Amino acid sequence: MSLLSADGLVKEFGGLRAIDGLSVSIDEGELVGVMGPNGAGKSTFFNCVSGVIQPDDGTVSLNGTDVTGDAPESLAHRGLVRTFQNTRELETMTVRDNVRLAAPDQPGERTLPALLRSGSMQEREEAVRERADELIEMFELDHLADEYSSNLSGGQRKLLELARTLMLDPDILLLDEPFAGVNPTLTGEIADHVRDLNNDGMTVVIIEHELETLTELVDRLVVLQQGQLLVEGEPEAVLEDERVIEAYLGGDAE
Amino acid sequence: MSALDRLPSGHGDRALIAGVVCLLVGALFALTPLRVQLPSAFYVFVEVGILFVIYGVLVLGLDLQYGHTGLVNFGHVVFFAVGAYATAMLSAQDTFAGIGLGYPWPLGLAAGVIAAAILGAAVSLTSIRLRGDFLAIVTLATAEIFHSVFVNFDNIFGGNVGILGVPRPIAALVTDSDTRLVATLLVLGGVTLLTLAIVTRLTEAPYGRVLRAIRADELVTRSVGKSTITYKTQAFVYGAALAGFAGGLFALYNGAVAPGFFTIQVTVTVWIGMLLGGAANHRAVLAGLAIIMGLRLVSRFALDVTPVSGDVFASIRLIVVGLILVAVIRYRPAGIWGDPQELGVDQ
Repeated sequence: MSLLSADGLVKEFGGLRAIDGLSVSIDEGELVGVMGPNGAGKSTFFNCVSGVIQPDDGTVSLNGTDVTGDAPESLAHRGLVRTFQNTRELETMTVRDNVRLAAPDQPGERTLPALLRSGSMQEREEAVRERADELIEMFELDHLADEYSSNLSGGQRKLLELARTLMLDPDILLLDEPFAGVNPTLTGEIADHVRDLNNDGMTVVIIEHELETLTELVDRLVVLQQGQLLVEGEPEAVLEDERVIEAYLGGDAE
Repeated sequence: MSALDRLPSGHGDRALIAGVVCLLVGALFALTPLRVQLPSAFYVFVEVGILFVIYGVLVLGLDLQYGHTGLVNFGHVVFFAVGAYATAMLSAQDTFAGIGLGYPWPLGLAAGVIAAAILGAAVSLTSIRLRGDFLAIVTLATAEIFHSVFVNFDNIFGGNVGILGVPRPIAALVTDSDTRLVATLLVLGGVTLLTLAIVTRLTEAPYGRVLRAIRADELVTRSVGKSTITYKTQAFVYGAALAGFAGGLFALYNGAVAPGFFTIQVTVTVWIGMLLGGAANHRAVLAGLAIIMGLRLVSRFALDVTPVSGDVFASIRLIVVGLILVAVIRYRPAGIWGDPQELGVDQ
């Protein structure tokens, strides 16, 4: 059964159809890459699926439940978490707090337990701190843990964003250009992390322009063009597909 | 190390203890024949001090909204006023004009808090989903609307005269005027310290982390599963309720309320105090408020030693206060004790 499926999604901005009847289905445990030229609708697809924007038409279902138009916070509770194309750090917070924030089920996030400093809050916070430190260490950010995240480099921000999403222990992770603006060494590192997560059973969908890394990493590639599904299949086959070559080189190219 | 040790608690607990001590000493003056005598030059300091601790509750509420959550409330005085009027109208006995129901004052004070919280909830329900600058406009407009309502509905709110005959619980206990002033300052100061302890607990807990995350980036906060609308509404309502509480305290101290006490000047003073001290830091906003109120007080004395007329002096005072603010913003844009990185401003 597919874990996440989008069926006939449509989203218009003004007169422009950013996605136009797009249907994509992701199975549990898959590692899927989404590619396509600029303006193909990749980010809009992510935005519709993750509740950041409402699709004009079509449905999104997660684990068999219709979640079309659900808010990002409710999707996060259902196990779908995403990152953003331009890394969005909580710059005015430290690396540690960025990661701790994402912890689910913290009773201390409600007024009364917070005021009473309830035992359940203390207990949970201790677990949260431990887990956050683990993730920070895993992504080799421990020397930066007390820095404000505004002081991090582009690549470090990508790592932090990944650490933060993992705090939620998601079933499905949507990564929007995790390698953009990241140096080759760090790209390799992030790719390794993603592969490990997938091997541990997490379903991952990646939007990426860095085709070399992407094709090596994923089980399946989905290519979008002008808001529609152009081709999907195994990476090698997709990259050799004439329609894909034409889409990337432009329709008029010889 | 136990979990209790690891959670930050120092400032909040110290404020709690200091608040209780202030209340106890204040009660000692109020309930026993113990008397103090103040040198007459001290009166004005104690009076401004009382106003400062009342405004202190106001600024803590505003800082919860703006400093921690990033909600811009340019009409903070309206919640102060609504709290004061509700307390006054419920508890006043012989009002000169307007309604006075003569209920016991604790009931009035509770009504003040609730009325301000309800108004806060109404404002949040209509505006909190909008972009930040809209909330600023809505709150500013709300304050103006209520000001005209208080002035124009004479038979309900007493017009420009306001509501007189509000009970003064401390004054009722202490007849000697010096002791009364000191007892009032101690009791209200204690209440402000307890408020400080409460907001500190709230913001140091994971609850405060969510508020600060919303200020930093609401979409990210939502995408990690936090219902930001709920938090923004709560922060706004709590801030409004604190302002209402301050309003109730003011009414019960002053014995009367009138529109003249609730002008935009109040909003401006607490905003300046907050920004001067450093938003998102409870003790800093109180210190900033003390500076701006102290500056105004001290400049009054300067009049006596300057060879200019009162009018000229008033203008000079405004210029001096303005220059100090410009200097602070130029050299310490996050406020004197504010953390520029935490507030995201360039130093």
